Amino acid sequence: MEIIIEEINRGKKLLHRHKFLTQKITIGRSYHNDIILADPHVCPEHLSIEYTGEHWVVKDHNSINGCYINSGKQKVVRHIVKSGDIIRFGKSQIRLILPDHPISETLAFSSFEGFIDLMRNPLILSFNILFFAFIAGMMFYLNQPSEVNPTQFIVKAVGVTLMFATWPLLIAMISHLNKHEARIFTQLAISFALFNLMWLSDVFESIVEFNLSSNWPIASIITLLPIALTFALIWLNFYIGFQMSERRRTIIALSITAVLFGGGYILQLSKQPEFSSRPDYDATIMTPTFKFAASSSVDKFISDSSKLFAKVEKSAQKQK
Amino acid sequence: MKGFITLLLFSLSSFAYATEQAEQIFHQLAPSLYQIRLIDNASGEKSSIGSGFQITADGLIATNYHVVSGFAQHPNKYHLEYLDHLGNKAPLTLESVDVINDLALVKRQTKSTMPYFHIASHAPIRGEEIYSLGNPHDLGMIVVPGTYNGLKIESFNDRIHFTGSVNSGMSGGPVVNKKAEVVGINVATSGNQIGFLVPSDKLLALFNNYKKNSSQNIDQQISTQLMANQKKLISTLLKSPWQKKTLGSAIISTIDVPFIRCWGESNADKADAVALLVVTNCALDDNTYISSDFFTNSIDIEFKYMRSKKLSDLKFYHLYQQHISNAGPNNRASKNDVSEYQCHHDLVKASNSNMNTKSIFCTRAYKKFPKLFDVLFISASIDKGDQALISHFTLAGVSQNSAMAFTKKFMESIAWK
Repeated sequence: MEIIIEEINRGKKLLHRHKFLTQKITIGRSYHNDIILADPHVCPEHLSIEYTGEHWVVKDHNSINGCYINSGKQKVVRHIVKSGDIIRFGKSQIRLILPDHPISETLAFSSFEGFIDLMRNPLILSFNILFFAFIAGMMFYLNQPSEVNPTQFIVKAVGVTLMFATWPLLIAMISHLNKHEARIFTQLAISFALFNLMWLSDVFESIVEFNLSSNWPIASIITLLPIALTFALIWLNFYIGFQMSERRRTIIALSITAVLFGGGYILQLSKQPEFSSRPDYDATIMTPTFKFAASSSVDKFISDSSKLFAKVEKSAQKQK
Repeated sequence: MKGFITLLLFSLSSFAYATEQAEQIFHQLAPSLYQIRLIDNASGEKSSIGSGFQITADGLIATNYHVVSGFAQHPNKYHLEYLDHLGNKAPLTLESVDVINDLALVKRQTKSTMPYFHIASHAPIRGEEIYSLGNPHDLGMIVVPGTYNGLKIESFNDRIHFTGSVNSGMSGGPVVNKKAEVVGINVATSGNQIGFLVPSDKLLALFNNYKKNSSQNIDQQISTQLMANQKKLISTLLKSPWQKKTLGSAIISTIDVPFIRCWGESNADKADAVALLVVTNCALDDNTYISSDFFTNSIDIEFKYMRSKKLSDLKFYHLYQQHISNAGPNNRASKNDVSEYQCHHDLVKASNSNMNTKSIFCTRAYKKFPKLFDVLFISASIDKGDQALISHFTLAGVSQNSAMAFTKKFMESIAWK
């Protein structure tokens, strides 16, 4: 009869998988066992799993620390195996599976697979990293009150790029520690592709805010873009780095995004004074190249602005 | 030489005469002079002091509004009392105010008719000797001789320019001519023998108005005065000539009235500056005091021209944006006085102008004085990659009509050369 024995860690992650065609399998620390464990809390001849012609049976061989089944608290001397049972002994665990054990359905490739492969292309990966470094350098250049020489530009660009590279490297390291494939380059490729999309969404946001008047509430919807991109980044990082159900991945990515943005939002709220005597307005201006919208007339501006008076009067009444 | 001695003798005698006169005036008028005290109810101690003088036989006393403003704004926190020349203290009631001219009428109880100050029927002549009375720094009543120097032209609301020391605590004290008639009321100082007085005709107007209608709500009175004053001010500005001037390669307008004064500054001397910066700033010289944390009726207009010297357009605009990001109000106001600002922004081009701008308009409403607002406008030119014009103004305490008429005229007055 066939039985599959999986050695698993305490997080139920698979370490080794064995398939036996014999009637009896012995497990213990001594070298004549079929499965040899290094766990010091396991006896030299700890247990055996035997086929009785009808069932597979777990037998404890008077071990010092005993055997436990699934989450049971009682030591077990003899146990009839059901497929999927987990036997705990010493600090080790094994899972026993019979050949007719049901398996989950085949996962189709996600539609992101194509995107991930494309980004993973060495040319595109290098382009994304270089583009990111260039933008990082440009941001430094723009924020510097004086002129910037090429060395300063490069040092800053490389510095910021390395700093941002720690995120995909960290994810790769964690997935490696969790016995998954590290896939460092894929993580780098996806992360930098999305970092660049975030830069672009910033530019897009500025263009929209610059061109549209405050009559268009769309400007506030656009601030959702970076949140969506962050969610996508984390989702893809987890998709590449860890095997988990789609639902779980979505929940984790949503939670991290919520903590990142929600936390920032709460921090901002807590810092906001009860009353501000200064106006809060959108001061985005861009060079003439980015002006796409037609200008309004003065009369239109005056009539739009006039609507504010009723609003502030109302809020003055409310706050009295 | 002989002439010189005569002149010296003459001036000595005139000095002696002035002193004597001051002494006489002081004695004669002392019973009608008061120290006005704002007393904090909780601590029972005075929180500010000023001077006042009686103007009717039945105990009506004139002083500055800013002396009694604490009581006018927070009647539950404070009360008013007077201290007369004999050291008697008794409570006062607030009867009427004029915030524009910083005047107030308070009243004491009287048992019999009392001596009082008469208000002069006509203004003094320039150079005439006048005497300011008051209680500086709580040192007791004093008299300060000085000279009448006409009305201050840089002031929208009339103020007498008085050459003589007006010190803190003398606020609200009378200024009299040799006949002991009130010609003005001490109101402010700019140090070094320059003082400002409210002309007595303003007091007369307030007094006549009070005789007609003695039971006015103070807030309502202030509200009416602010409304009338802003209307007069803004319509004067709109009717006055707006002079076109060039600032760099932009055309701007400044309003040609004496009470709005302009100043200029640039960084043309700084060779290493990345951009040329030229600023013109025009402002109304005076504002109206409502309380120690609420001022209104101020006007500020600012133009800033920038030209990039060696910056790329992108970097120049990045710098430029920082210049328009932090506009704020120019008048002090607290949460109890005003709402928060709300703003509108759009890209605008006036039909008569060749300049495209990003324009931002913000306003906040007054809580105690309905239909009055503070407004703020800032616009940034957006049609030249290497040049920029920022046009900015703030108006405090204006009606919607005044604000919008001013904004429209302002927006239509800027262009490129």
